[in-house]
Amino acid sequence: MKALTANRLVDGEVVFWDGGRWVERFADAKLYDDAAEAEAAEAHGKNQPKAVVDAYLIDLVESEGLWAPLSYRERIRALGPTNLNHGKQTEGGAAIAALKHAHGAARSTGRVDLIRRK
Amino acid sequence: MYRYDTLDREILADRSAEFREQVGRRLAGDLTEDQFKPLRLMNGLYLQLHAYMLRVAIPYGSLNSTQLRKLAWLSKTYDKGYGHFTTRQNLQLHWIKLADTPDILDHLASVDMHAIQTSGNCIRNVTADPYAGATAEEIDDPRIWAEAMRQWSTLHPEFSFLPRKFKIAITAAPKDRTAAKVHDIGLAVKRARDGAMGFEVMVGGGMGRTPYVGSTIREFLPANRLFSYLEAILRVYNRHGRRDNIYKARIKILVAALGAEEFARQVEAEWDKVGTDADLPDLEIARIRGAFAGGAFETLPPRSEAFEAAKASQLAFARFVRNNVKPHKKPGYAIVEISLKGIGETPGDATAEQMDVVADLAERFGQDDIRVTHEQNLVLPHIRLDDLPAVHAALAAVGLGTPNIGLVSDIIACPGLDYCALANARAISVAQHIAERFADADRAENVGELKVKISGCINACGHHHVGHIGILGVDKKGEEYYQLTLGGSGAEDAAVGQALGPALPYERVAEAVDTLVEVYLRERKDGERFLDTFRRTGVAPFKEAVYADVH
Repeated sequence: MKALTANRLVDGEVVFWDGGRWVERFADAKLYDDAAEAEAAEAHGKNQPKAVVDAYLIDLVESEGLWAPLSYRERIRALGPTNLNHGKQTEGGAAIAALKHAHGAARSTGRVDLIRRK
Repeated sequence: MYRYDTLDREILADRSAEFREQVGRRLAGDLTEDQFKPLRLMNGLYLQLHAYMLRVAIPYGSLNSTQLRKLAWLSKTYDKGYGHFTTRQNLQLHWIKLADTPDILDHLASVDMHAIQTSGNCIRNVTADPYAGATAEEIDDPRIWAEAMRQWSTLHPEFSFLPRKFKIAITAAPKDRTAAKVHDIGLAVKRARDGAMGFEVMVGGGMGRTPYVGSTIREFLPANRLFSYLEAILRVYNRHGRRDNIYKARIKILVAALGAEEFARQVEAEWDKVGTDADLPDLEIARIRGAFAGGAFETLPPRSEAFEAAKASQLAFARFVRNNVKPHKKPGYAIVEISLKGIGETPGDATAEQMDVVADLAERFGQDDIRVTHEQNLVLPHIRLDDLPAVHAALAAVGLGTPNIGLVSDIIACPGLDYCALANARAISVAQHIAERFADADRAENVGELKVKISGCINACGHHHVGHIGILGVDKKGEEYYQLTLGGSGAEDAAVGQALGPALPYERVAEAVDTLVEVYLRERKDGERFLDTFRRTGVAPFKEAVYADVH
């Protein structure tokens, strides 16, 4: 399972593609289990340079009956920093709890390419 | 401190207006991200994990109260109410919006501040001794030379597209508080036998994935020839630096490849060509020197009864004095270090309220002078001993009274995976766990000087290579692991740390540091710091203890 993420151009906010627009909550992201469909969404995301920067697909893992980003880095992006409780995690609720309790560690999909560019 | 003149202010106004226009074009879609990125980076604006990050330059780590209050206000108005002081003596704001950035740059310019030289392949903000103008140890005030270098290097057209970024540090005291030997160029002010002033010039130090301690290529450079010599170094680097490979593009790689002797020979040859035209006139140095002259010091007795009484009656104050208060060149004064390493807090972070309090104290008690250290702390360099109890009380009231300067919990940590787009692993929470293990102030004082430095990736913003205990976060199949190194130093006895052994998982790092400290306490001889004991015993007893359960 995959989701499409990026940073919003105007403010840098972490955003996810819900199939029609960019949203701030991972819980609202569209989930793709079809690789071709995911890649098409990514191509569409990369083609929105006035809206977002660095669109890429992330791998997901099941957590507490919900889906969460597989890599720790992507969970931090979806939640906010761990040193202060002032990111997206302030919303609380089951979706945030599922992200916090998720396990599974793998390199963030797309990250290697991003680092190469930076 | 140095005050900007009309020319400085015009440059900042132009720069800010230019960036406003560039941001407008990017938001309108007239610039692609690839076109815009180098432009925003040259204005200190990075895109990090959660938002944009603006790195504000604090040239040679020197601020006045108006400037610090402005930073506090910016952090409240445009960020989440705090800022992060860095190992480059700068301030990072981690929650910035692109659309706000032109306004922020205007606000910075209104107090003679900016974000120039905080990114890009140019000469970066010069590091200087945070005790400058206050310590009796110094030969000259390094801020004079740092300010001259700021003016010389700012938007210097020949050095705006170097093979890679370029960092200069200057110290004028034998005790190096700038990590000069691990900079691209380290300058140490020296006096010749005839009393003439000059610089020892060290080149090719650095951290990152290939750490080096710099080599001295000139024992004594006459002070009035500094700028032609710097130009010669940069020309040799600009000509031969490895632009083809980002990992080999720093000057340290060139110096290592050529050998320090051959590099020095080429610099001397280039220096002959540059000639004296590139040097600053003595008059200009004298003008800059005038901006740092004096200080409004009173003639005071060396002993303050108020200070002694507070020390005798208040244990917390006495501990603060032992660890955070340093001797001043003037009788009756002291240098006060403010720890931004409260136990369990984020190293280097200060809230807007804390910044305001420090600004107020500087204005009321400290000649309006504030410094940032490369170890991510603040300094009030000129406090009367009589005023120290009041200063301490005001600091303690906002959580800035932590008495741990130079101790195990005074940890350098980069933002790491909590904020940084390049990081492999977290650094902040590792620092917090270690500090919490040494929350007992008696125990921390008993351990004594111990510099722990943590980086979340090999770029080494947390200076792990030169930590007495260095900790490097690595990504092991997607999990956070940490490689420990021992025996590094960024001070006058600079050294690159030696690997302890296989990387440890996140949960084991604080415990491993505790074990290393216990080995040191067991092995140390009279007066030895952790570093001294390590250098005497080598890595073996430490390694054996940390990996005991693996065997």
